[in-house]
Amino acid sequence: MRDWQRKTYLASVTDRYVKGQMDRRSFLRAAGKLGLSVGALGAGFGLSGRRPFFNLAPSAFAEGSLEPSPEMMKWLADVGKPFAGTTLRLATESTPPSNAIANSLKPFFEKASGIKIEIEVLPLEQVLQKLTLDVASQLGTYDLYYIDQSWAANFSQDVFDPREQIKDKPDLAYPDYNIDDFLPPLVDGIAKYKDRWVGVPYDIPIFIMQYRKDIYDELGLKAPETMDELLTNSQKITEAKGPQLYGTTGQMKSGHYSLECDWTCWLWGHGGQIFDTDRKFVGNNDAGIKAIEYWDKLKKTMPPGVDGWTWDGEGQSVSQGVAASMLSWGEFFPFFDDPKSGKISGLMEAAVPPKAITLISPDKTGFGEIPGVGHQGGSSLAVSKYSKNPDAAWVFMQWATAADTQALITVLGGGTGPTRTSVYDDPRVKANARVGAGTTRHLPVVRETISKYMGSEPDLPEWAEISSDTIPVALGQYFAGQYDSPKAAMDDIKTKVEAVLKS
Amino acid sequence: MTTSDLVRRRVVSDHPLPWLMPLIAILVVFTIFPLVYNIWLSFHEFVPRRRALEWVGGRNWAQLWADTRFWQSLTVTFIYFGIALAVELVLGMAIALLLDADEPGFGFLRGILTMTLVIPPAIAGMMYLLMEDPQFGVISYVLKAIGLLSPATPILATTQYALAGVLLAEIWQWTPFMVLILLAGLRALPSEPYEAAMIDGASPWQTFWRLTMPMMSKVIAIAVLIRGIDLFRVFDYVFVMTSGGPGTATYTLSLYAWQQTFSFVKWGYGATLSLVMLLIVLIIANVFIKVAKVRW
Amino acid sequence: MPGSSLSRYLRIAAAWLVAGLFFFPIYYWTSVAFRDGRDIFSRPPKIFDFSPTLDNFQKVFGIHFGQGSLTVTPGGGNFYMAPRLWDSIVIGVGSTILAVAIATLAAYALSRIHFRARHSFVGWVLSTRMMPPVAVAIPMFFMYKTLGLLDTYLGMILIHALMNLPLAVLLMKSFFDDVPKEIDESAVVDGASRWLIFRRIVLPMARGGIAATAVLCFIFSWTEFLFALTLTQTQIKTVPVVSTTFVTSVGTAWGNMAALGAAAIVPAFIFVLAVQRHLVRGLTMGSLKQ
Repeated sequence: MRDWQRKTYLASVTDRYVKGQMDRRSFLRAAGKLGLSVGALGAGFGLSGRRPFFNLAPSAFAEGSLEPSPEMMKWLADVGKPFAGTTLRLATESTPPSNAIANSLKPFFEKASGIKIEIEVLPLEQVLQKLTLDVASQLGTYDLYYIDQSWAANFSQDVFDPREQIKDKPDLAYPDYNIDDFLPPLVDGIAKYKDRWVGVPYDIPIFIMQYRKDIYDELGLKAPETMDELLTNSQKITEAKGPQLYGTTGQMKSGHYSLECDWTCWLWGHGGQIFDTDRKFVGNNDAGIKAIEYWDKLKKTMPPGVDGWTWDGEGQSVSQGVAASMLSWGEFFPFFDDPKSGKISGLMEAAVPPKAITLISPDKTGFGEIPGVGHQGGSSLAVSKYSKNPDAAWVFMQWATAADTQALITVLGGGTGPTRTSVYDDPRVKANARVGAGTTRHLPVVRETISKYMGSEPDLPEWAEISSDTIPVALGQYFAGQYDSPKAAMDDIKTKVEAVLKS
Repeated sequence: MTTSDLVRRRVVSDHPLPWLMPLIAILVVFTIFPLVYNIWLSFHEFVPRRRALEWVGGRNWAQLWADTRFWQSLTVTFIYFGIALAVELVLGMAIALLLDADEPGFGFLRGILTMTLVIPPAIAGMMYLLMEDPQFGVISYVLKAIGLLSPATPILATTQYALAGVLLAEIWQWTPFMVLILLAGLRALPSEPYEAAMIDGASPWQTFWRLTMPMMSKVIAIAVLIRGIDLFRVFDYVFVMTSGGPGTATYTLSLYAWQQTFSFVKWGYGATLSLVMLLIVLIIANVFIKVAKVRW
Repeated sequence: MPGSSLSRYLRIAAAWLVAGLFFFPIYYWTSVAFRDGRDIFSRPPKIFDFSPTLDNFQKVFGIHFGQGSLTVTPGGGNFYMAPRLWDSIVIGVGSTILAVAIATLAAYALSRIHFRARHSFVGWVLSTRMMPPVAVAIPMFFMYKTLGLLDTYLGMILIHALMNLPLAVLLMKSFFDDVPKEIDESAVVDGASRWLIFRRIVLPMARGGIAATAVLCFIFSWTEFLFALTLTQTQIKTVPVVSTTFVTSVGTAWGNMAALGAAAIVPAFIFVLAVQRHLVRGLTMGSLKQ
């Protein structure tokens, strides 16, 4: 048996044991066949009940198997030689890939290349603040930029296009880098601004349908395929189980970016669009109004308090068994499977988002908006033009976004979505597709959603203000009952958005 | 004593300047520069496309008048400021009077109260966000259990209650600061007038209004001044707990200035808003110093 | 004011109740540090009956109690906090010493040497605290960049000292006002210089005031966020700045945040308790002496 097959088998056995489909003795026997003694499986058994052993995610791997490949280490050692002793800096949002690099993978890079890397992990809006100051002062404090998809327009001129870097620095190029491996929709939606690549796709949180299999089965429901089904399913659950359990949930905090994310999902799902080809706001057209009316009905099936939650409260409400489904960030799926974080480990299933009623094609929109129910919130990684060590930074960037590293990130970072095609098929990633913290069992759905259902926000420099203030503040007012009708609210948003665009 | 000694004493140590020099130096360098810079900035705006500041003349200042968000946030700021200051003062006074006794353990209780000040305001905001959560929060739970809140009401997402929810964190954290200042004042009061009042048979209520309040007026004035100045600038609680919502129900001026400056990179307009805040605080503080006859 | 024993007991009971109410959120937050996700988010909320765990402290401080393997967790991460606590302590202590030293010198002059502009000078000092931090942060960033103070202890110590100076000057002045003027007047007659009087007589008598001022300066530096965020990069991080990094793209690591918060209360609280008695006395601000 090859090593990864052995691991996949162990993972599935473990999964069955954890779900209670297998007794302890047959589990130990199966494990024994793989050459694992009880001791090797860790202390988990002695503490079972209180502390199931799969908490030590990802336990499907033996010590040392989750390390960069020898080829990668050798390349780093060769190419890094001239830069030994250099220190690189990166400011990034606290996301699974950045945390995996900062906490686990960084030492491998530093040891092999001799380049020191300092990673500053911050909440999203603080990253924007730091990058803006860096760009405005052209200080070159940060050698690498973490660029959220909504900022691509702002920073497109401040970073190197990775395709040019590959061409201009053949001696620094990692032979197996394969830039065509990045999923094309992500390149379009995240990294590209006009004709430039603003770095490469680094992270991809995306809306997928996540629901409680047990509740759906109990009530005889199936994963919603249309917007209507999502609503009726949620209504049935809330009727049957409320106020203990609600049909669905949301991230609807007034004045917060998350509210705008939810809005786009319903807007696009009803054939709406934010901007038309004349770059005018048209969220107040008929489709836009229908979306709000639908949202109103759906909100009645959500737990009270949803309008105070960002993605954190939304995720917690599912994880703690308050809501039975969410059409939201797929990044949360591994968290739901973590038995220490919540009460629903192993009970969630993932599906592609419900189909849009109609969908506007991207050529009918403005500012590069791509309508789609699977709202994406990805980010890219790029080398700053103001960096004093752009070559060393480029070496780091290739390493951090190479397929080998991304596979490790996916496994170590808790099942986050990869941005490269090949990583979805990586045996290490597949081996982790079992119930437990850091699972990757939702990734096939993520991959399908990216290729078929993904929606991307428009790219314009004013978007940061429109998406995190103008729209979510007005929508917050709407849900607090300060507008007479959806039409009045959306018309007002149009006026305000146009005022921002004008100034 | 020689003449030169005398000269040295008069010139070097009896003149205030040598003593004040380090203070003046650091304050001039660190406050005049930002002030001048901000005034300069308020006539410019950052243009993201060019990564540079551009002259815009009086546009930022003219914009203020028509900016409804500015006026809304100014209103919210005054309401927040007024309620917080009044409650912190009254509650602080009540607690200070309560603790103004040499009972065993009262020193310990004063220490306990001080603990709230050690927590960074942003973290205090997170604490209250968690405790006021409509599903999982312990404060919401208690309020519902005693019937003060209907089960479907999220405190921070309801227009009528959101500000109260934010003020709860503010008042919890800063009332002890008032208590400390007022208690210090109470402890330093002379005891003779009280003995006289007791002989005259004055009620505790009369004693408080006729004796304690007049003697404490200076302390109260300074406490109000110091807290008032800081209150105007505080934005951590609203930022963390409500993002100014629902809608603009808790959107304060300092949050607005912060967002314009840091989130939307409108440094010019952010500077304008900051200067307006500085002006308002300066005016209020100076009027207050005159009216309350504060002397240092 | 002696009262009947009933009212005395009522007062004691009320005092404990009030302190208890103020303490409860701190208890609750600290207890969150010892909970896993299920116990933080439960319905109804758990107050005492959670199963305690040290996981959050392990993650936040990168220490392992007992067995452990890979450290990355979804939604959290290993942030190695101990050095950050150290940064906060260095900046807190450094800025406190600087602010108290400068304020003591100035406050002595303001208390003892009469000059015409004294009243408006104090007003000006106080007004420097009225500038919104948002307005100071950006010019400071550019100034620090030019001076090479970005991301250094010295830079942070300077800015925190500056922030605390107005309060420290007011406080110290009140303490010097409490020291009877007759003492130094008689010393002047004896031929002692101002400096000597200050160092040998007034300063030792105002020791309590220095302690009280120091506590407040330390607390404000310990909890300051905006300057610490804007003027540091990768080398230095204070506790409030690190705390916000627990707000991640996959939810907020509440337990981790609380663990750091609980650990960060300890050093500051020790500092406060040590000088608690002086603190209460020191905050009078001399306002009763006029």
